[in-house]
Amino acid sequence: MRRSPKLRPNLWDGVVVLAVAALAVACAVGIWQGGGSQEALTAVISVDGTEVERIPLDQAGETRRTVEGGGYTLEICLTDTEVWVEHSDCPTQDCVHTGRISRSGQSIVCLPARVVVELEGGSTADDGLDAVIG
Amino acid sequence: MKLTTKQLTLCAVLTALALALSYLENLFPLSLAIPIPGIKLGLANIVTVFALYALGPAQAFLILLARCFLGAVFAGNMNALIFSLLGGVTAMVVMIVLSGSRCLSVYGVSVGGAAAHNCGQVAAAVLTLGNTAPLYYLPVLLGVSLLTGALTGLVSACLFRALAHTNLNTGLDQGGTHGA
Repeated sequence: MRRSPKLRPNLWDGVVVLAVAALAVACAVGIWQGGGSQEALTAVISVDGTEVERIPLDQAGETRRTVEGGGYTLEICLTDTEVWVEHSDCPTQDCVHTGRISRSGQSIVCLPARVVVELEGGSTADDGLDAVIG
Repeated sequence: MKLTTKQLTLCAVLTALALALSYLENLFPLSLAIPIPGIKLGLANIVTVFALYALGPAQAFLILLARCFLGAVFAGNMNALIFSLLGGVTAMVVMIVLSGSRCLSVYGVSVGGAAAHNCGQVAAAVLTLGNTAPLYYLPVLLGVSLLTGALTGLVSACLFRALAHTNLNTGLDQGGTHGA
């Protein structure tokens, strides 16, 4: 053994845990509090970093979009309050499992297809945290 | 870098173990519970922690690189390479720095490594997507890394305890002159 490590957690490990937790909270505050604007809630679909379409949810009503990227096809459903990926032929299915997003700042990411669906605009006033864990 | 035959063999075995562990963790799909791209237990990190202490930073780095390249080849997905490389190298650098401090136990080192791994992967996602949306997941990923880091730390601690009674390591540093 080059160096035998300490095997019991001690106070210094607590410092590392606190540092990571503080970083998480700082990121959460910085990223999730993106201010709402007067603009209505809008779904922004991007493929490979380029914006493909902006869909204002209240005007579009119930609609569907088929988006292709990275050789995969995503079926995106939109209502006036929610957006979700109904079906995807990507291997990971994270985009489908993400479920429905309904608030400004939320997003659905499909890494294999390089597709991002983001919600912008709308009010974030009643936003707040979903849950505080730990 | 000159490796003895014993060191080279151990590196190869640890690389194989890391690859097997990355495959094994697909059986525990954490992403079903928390649907975030790239979320996982990070079991291969156990190998990195072990190699870092038992063999030193240079060989741990070699094992990491071999694991990333072979993993991408076996998965037939070279796009995954940038994710595992950025995540793995960031974790490695942070763990080398943290393990340099004698105060920290394996728990602190693996929690730091797990958090750094997630930061690296989010950076890779931002780079490949050309979109900052993945940053949205960073707070949750960091929170989860506290748990997964503690878990890999626990397994590493058990591993070191078990190996304390063997002579695996005694021959490593003065392991003869058979250059490899």
